Amino acid sequence: MTSSPTEVITELADALREWLPTQRWFAGKDRPVESVRPVHAVSLVDGDPALLHSVIEVRQNGSADRYQLLLGLRADLPEHLGHAWIGTRAQLACYDATQDTELTGLLLDLIARGETHAGLDFQHEPGAELEIALRSRPVGAEQSNTSLVYGHHYILKLFRKLVTGTNPDLTLHRALRTQRCEHIAEPLGAIQGSLNGEEVTFGMLQRFLPDAADGWAMATASVRDLMAEGDLHPDEVGGDFAGEARRLGQAVAEVHADLAAALGSGSEGSDLLDRTVDAMQRRLDAVLASVPELGAHEAGLRSAFDAARELSEPIAVQHIHGDLHLGQVLRTVLGWVLIDFEGEPAAPAAERLSLRSPLRDVAGMLRSFDYAAHQLLVGHPGGSGAEDQLTVRALEWARRNRDAFCDGYAEKAEDPREHAVLLRALELDKAVYEVAYEHGNRPEWLAVPLSSIARITGS
Amino acid sequence: MSGSAGEVKPDAALGLEGIPHTGEGVTSDGHLIEPQAEDFRHARQAPEDADWFKRAVFYEVLVRAFADSSSDGTGDLRGLASRMDYLQWLGVDCLWLPPFYASPLRDGGYDISDFRAVLPDFGTVDDFVYVLDEAHRRGIRVITDLVLNHTSDAHPWFQASRSDPDGPYGDFYVWGDDDQKYPDARIIFVDTESSNWTYDPVRGQFYWHRFFSHQPDLNYENPEVQEAMLDVLRFWLDLGIDGFRLDAVPYLFEQEGTNCENLPHTHEFLKKCRKVVDDEFPGRVLLAEANQWPSDVVAYFGDPEVGGDECHMAFHFPLMPRLFMAVRRENRFPISEILAQTPAIPAGCQWGIFLRNHDELTLEMVTDDERDYMYAEYAKDPRMKANIGIRRRLAPLLDNDRNQQELFNAMLLSLPGSPVLYYGDEIGMGDNIWLGDRDGVRTPMQWTPDRNAGFSSCDPNRIYLPVNADPVYGYQAVNVEAHLNNNSSLLHWTRRMIEVRKQHPAFGLGDFTELGSSNPSILAYIRTYSADGAADTVVCVNNLSRFPQPVELHLGEFEGCVPVELTGGVRFPAIGELPYLLTLPGHGFYWFQLTAATDEGEAP
Ligand SMILES: Nc1ncnc2c1ncn2[C@@H]1O[C@H](COP(=O)(O)OP(=O)(O)OP(=O)(O)O)[C@@H](O)[C@H]1O
Ligand SMILES: [Mg+2]
Repeated sequence: MTSSPTEVITELADALREWLPTQRWFAGKDRPVESVRPVHAVSLVDGDPALLHSVIEVRQNGSADRYQLLLGLRADLPEHLGHAWIGTRAQLACYDATQDTELTGLLLDLIARGETHAGLDFQHEPGAELEIALRSRPVGAEQSNTSLVYGHHYILKLFRKLVTGTNPDLTLHRALRTQRCEHIAEPLGAIQGSLNGEEVTFGMLQRFLPDAADGWAMATASVRDLMAEGDLHPDEVGGDFAGEARRLGQAVAEVHADLAAALGSGSEGSDLLDRTVDAMQRRLDAVLASVPELGAHEAGLRSAFDAARELSEPIAVQHIHGDLHLGQVLRTVLGWVLIDFEGEPAAPAAERLSLRSPLRDVAGMLRSFDYAAHQLLVGHPGGSGAEDQLTVRALEWARRNRDAFCDGYAEKAEDPREHAVLLRALELDKAVYEVAYEHGNRPEWLAVPLSSIARITGS
Repeated sequence: MSGSAGEVKPDAALGLEGIPHTGEGVTSDGHLIEPQAEDFRHARQAPEDADWFKRAVFYEVLVRAFADSSSDGTGDLRGLASRMDYLQWLGVDCLWLPPFYASPLRDGGYDISDFRAVLPDFGTVDDFVYVLDEAHRRGIRVITDLVLNHTSDAHPWFQASRSDPDGPYGDFYVWGDDDQKYPDARIIFVDTESSNWTYDPVRGQFYWHRFFSHQPDLNYENPEVQEAMLDVLRFWLDLGIDGFRLDAVPYLFEQEGTNCENLPHTHEFLKKCRKVVDDEFPGRVLLAEANQWPSDVVAYFGDPEVGGDECHMAFHFPLMPRLFMAVRRENRFPISEILAQTPAIPAGCQWGIFLRNHDELTLEMVTDDERDYMYAEYAKDPRMKANIGIRRRLAPLLDNDRNQQELFNAMLLSLPGSPVLYYGDEIGMGDNIWLGDRDGVRTPMQWTPDRNAGFSSCDPNRIYLPVNADPVYGYQAVNVEAHLNNNSSLLHWTRRMIEVRKQHPAFGLGDFTELGSSNPSILAYIRTYSADGAADTVVCVNNLSRFPQPVELHLGEFEGCVPVELTGGVRFPAIGELPYLLTLPGHGFYWFQLTAATDEGEAP
């Protein structure tokens, strides 16, 4: 190769500016990309095809985010890789190498061997014995990272937008592994490196669960069944989900207990509550400014938040999942599994790693049941008798499964409903976040969080 | 109830006068004379085939309910023989007949009063040999139930045992001076029995019984009992029968300090039964009825090192309710879970699986956490409770929905195990709920729209149970004749599916691998079998939801292969690099054979 890896990326900067916004995992699609520059680039494989590993810094009005890139270089790009093409330089096609199974096999081999290669640290977990030379394929799911599946055995998540420090996904998975937690996909290895002297996680290898179906698909199948009946209640229809919701509640409580056992827990008083409520109020201020529909509920929201400030008993805190919803849980033949412990993508890294109330996860799940219940009604204006009937059914479904989830949680830990005031505030805060998200991205869904807010605040 | 001090003569009131039977005479040393196989004609043998039971489609048929040749209102063996052409046409490989032995019929014939005589209502041993002959002539085999654990209290052995404690049968049953032994054995029929011991005033002692008090347990500690029962096996095997479903096997022995179930001695005796089969009657089978969790049932296959040395087959009980639960939930996990929990079985063995039979899973017999799960998930649901507790037929359970009947049968015919069909379900017969849960599913087979549904030419008032006259399921609408005349009937469909199954050894002999997918309503699996360098690979995809569903299957290892749909022979697009996308109609299913791209697959 004539030019260095860094030069290759530099020369590709313009092509990357075009290409990035077309990628599902690119977080800055709402703003123009001003510049792209390499902050790290090494060659993992020379020859044809060649493989480069790099980190690019993407500047967008004021912000600078770092993304991981695996770049393939070939003289002739085969047709099945056409969709991965980024640009051409020096007569070489440059493309997204995560799509090239000829190249991605190497990553698993390096992890299995536990090698340090081109400054990257490929590790496997103590005691993990890995099979190599497995056929790989990209997951193909809509996701904010890029995951590759090897055979029916492993899944390697390549983090796209990088955070400094070890990724909480890896930290928490490793902690849960020490507790032999049954409700995770076992972590088997990682790709770590450093940038400007700080540790960075580039990838995490886990056991792949080939029989898994995610909680959202499970729950919406149940809702669909209910909606088709019309005259039956959720506890009467065949697709009743309450048994699953209960077991899911148990699983979440067990994961919380294992996280606390592995990484510690604490107890906080009014300070934390003040900070928490201040943040809720600030978020509300911001969303009110852009979503006028929320105005009607302002008083109810503010007083629900402030009620949490008045709580006198101490709040138990610990490491939590941080972004829990039905799409982050998988049903397998052995029960429920929680995945993706990266935390809320928008939250700052410091917050993601801090000890917080596990009620946040519970609130996230409760909101998700609400969403699942209502998703089939989205896009229907309502008003007709039949629509109203379905709305009633949706509410019944949500109530039944939220209760079942809490019942299951309470079988393994303290009943979250014992902390009704805080749980309510957390749920409303989450709903306010959803209002902002839906307003910006999916206006037809806006009614889902808004109607929940109206119901919870009684306004 | 039993033990009534009445002077019951060994062979009284069983209608066996003039017919060969146990206790016709007594030898000088007090032994009862029993009929011998040599006294009868023997049936021709079924074709030799060691693995037949792994590929077979079984058909459970009640002699009483199938066809009446004597116009007395009760089905009989000659009647069954007269319908053998129909069974051959349908394509079933083996008939399973519930007990047809002499019996006072206080427990549906499972209370056997003579192991070597046929219930006179059904005919004679000679008639049975005739049935065997007619079946074997058509390549159909026949197995029947045999109760090893106990006899009826009307059995001459018991009568001799109670009246002559020092005679040759004195030790044939489990007698005790009090009712205190084996306190840890549970009472199975809690509704009717208060103890496993009952006092017999004739002998002045208590006798042991795990089931009804009119069914005393045989004493397997006595080697003569073991020999006597092995001779019962030999009697029927000599006549030509193809095997036995051994009823209630876990309870043969008793031992203080245990629950008296699944004891090592019980397994030792089953190994003896197996040895008789292997040494003297190779190719015949033993099927265990042990209503337990699969992980416990596997013990009845025996030693996996030698491919199994007890029973060749055992019923897989929990699968059936899980099938219903999964379709009701529109979710594969109830099935996937039970299959994942099913242990591997020895090489020479096979599960028997069924949707319906005359006598089904009761939750009482399922143990541990699994019962909690079943209760939590499904006994709460009144409709599901009815599905397992009360005996119903397939069609009414599925609201007579044709798509669902096809889906359930397609799963039955493609999941691992040998399928057992229940007579009448192939034409979608209904149950008669007014007859109560036992008899409701045992009404006469519906052959024609004529009087008595073509089952019997007797006066309708004489018939053992009224034919089903329901407007939807009754014989005038639902009968074999009507189904035969309609090419798209369930009967023709069932026949075609059985035929397809037979063309693919993967179904009976192949490995099973579930194919996960992100759609929880889809249950997909691969069956693969290879022998002599040829591989048979079948992919089955089932939509458990009533709504159309898409699914992406990861078939990467078969890249380049062409799926050929098995019922019509249509070639589907070749499997490529990307996940294989299929769409299925509500409650739809596909069976595909994976063929090499060049290969034309089988002709449609
Ligand atoms: N261990 C696993 N076994 C099977 N499937 C998995 C596993 N882990 C993840 N998946 C599948 O891959 C998808 C993406 O996984 P994950 O959530 O970890 O990635 P992500 O990039 O953080 O996605 P998102 O942006 O949706 O949060 C999941 O929705 C799930 O369907
Ligand atoms: Mg016994």
